[in-house]
Amino acid sequence: MTWDWSFVVKILPQLMDGVWYTILVTIASSAIALIGGLLLAILESVSTTLGRSFVRFWLELFRGVPTLVLLYFAFYVLPEAGVTLPAIPIGIVVLGVVYAAYCSEVYRGSLITIPSELRDACVALHLSSFITWQRVLVPLMIKRSIPALLNYVLGMFRETAVLFAIGVPVLMGEANVVGYENFRYLEPFTVAGVIYIGMNLPFLYLLSRFKDKHV
Amino acid sequence: MSSSMEFSQAGSFASAPASTSSEAHASAPNSQQAMWAIEFEKVSKSFGAHRVLVDLDLQVKPGEKVALIGPSGSGKTTVLRLAMTLEKPTGGDIRVFGESIVFDAAGKPLSISQEARIRRRCGMVFQQFNLFPHLTVLQNLILAPTTVLRQSREQAEKSALEYLRMVGLESKVHAYPAQLSGGQQQRIAIARALILKPEILLLDEITSALDPELAGEVLDVVRNIAHEAKVSLLIVTHEMRFAREISDRIAVFDAGRIIEQGPPDKIFSNPESERTRAFLQRVLNH
Repeated sequence: MTWDWSFVVKILPQLMDGVWYTILVTIASSAIALIGGLLLAILESVSTTLGRSFVRFWLELFRGVPTLVLLYFAFYVLPEAGVTLPAIPIGIVVLGVVYAAYCSEVYRGSLITIPSELRDACVALHLSSFITWQRVLVPLMIKRSIPALLNYVLGMFRETAVLFAIGVPVLMGEANVVGYENFRYLEPFTVAGVIYIGMNLPFLYLLSRFKDKHV
Repeated sequence: MSSSMEFSQAGSFASAPASTSSEAHASAPNSQQAMWAIEFEKVSKSFGAHRVLVDLDLQVKPGEKVALIGPSGSGKTTVLRLAMTLEKPTGGDIRVFGESIVFDAAGKPLSISQEARIRRRCGMVFQQFNLFPHLTVLQNLILAPTTVLRQSREQAEKSALEYLRMVGLESKVHAYPAQLSGGQQQRIAIARALILKPEILLLDEITSALDPELAGEVLDVVRNIAHEAKVSLLIVTHEMRFAREISDRIAVFDAGRIIEQGPPDKIFSNPESERTRAFLQRVLNH
């Protein structure tokens, strides 16, 4: 087993395709997770006991079942019910929904830490509940949640690798494909690992900046 | 008190009630009751088994300054929170310019929009200032005018600057609350309440969270509000000298009841109730 640089150069373009899909999936899933999580947290806070238990049921479901199970369910079982979607949207939505459940917990935690006195102030200023959410609670929730949310975006980025299981050409998937096409796995998986680490760095930098800022 | 405050603009605040509230006033169902700015009738409030207020009767005239004093836990703050609809009474009725903030004409609980309309005439300043930490001073001040009163941004900013000048903090217009001292934050909070031109201003221990030297600058601001005849003040305070100086009437609370009320000089120099005497002795000897 010797390292072959010319093979690395040969497979790099295909791996880079995987990088683009990884970025695409991460961004799209993050959008679903960050916005969906916020809406879930608000919904849970404003709904009745019944509505709240409904939201909680779905949250626990998506947090409790392994992502791979949900992926396979969406990819193999839903078509039997007549819902056939391409792998990429399925991957994006499943990852997004799972992480929306996590993110909503983060937002919920931030909401709880907003002093009730600030809500009193909103009442005393006669703000409608919509304005109270829009201009006071949601901005504070987001601000307080950013470090934890970045962690989840980072986690989601890493977890895009499992989407190769349903054939999404993410970096992990591409590495796997070039591996079995050439019967050489050393370079594809090593290079993929190095690229994953390299792509982590901006997140880690952002995280450390926010931690400095918010401690 | 070092900062020289400019109150030349003071005449402009609270002088004209918001148009919505003057309409509400005109349509007050019972003109006899409308003589009170705010009226508590047999109001009780319990939190579980704990009775905070017991059959409270209290009337405040338009423009009257009433200080609520008494030991901690005697229900003073609850009176203000009830007036601001932050709490619901367990029993009794509260009327703002003759209109109940608890029940509608049919005796049913008020809808959210009815409640919002009537309580529009009240404003409140809190012990912990409660400025919005993510907004600048200016944004704190114009949030309600632009959203509740639907003023234009320019109009709201113009009046925000007037009120900032009034509390002596126009230089802090773009600062965030965390960059201000407690006394400055509380002065901003007062400006934020006044900008909505309340006819009844509720001040809840507004200097309790402040060092004595910072309390002074806040009290100076309130003195100048008090000179403005049109706004009724309901002040919960532990500053006895201030209460005596500023109020037309003092109500002494103990265990959820008013045990005595009257002009400040009478309460302080010749109280009728033994418990008032004991309370005043305790607080004035410190």
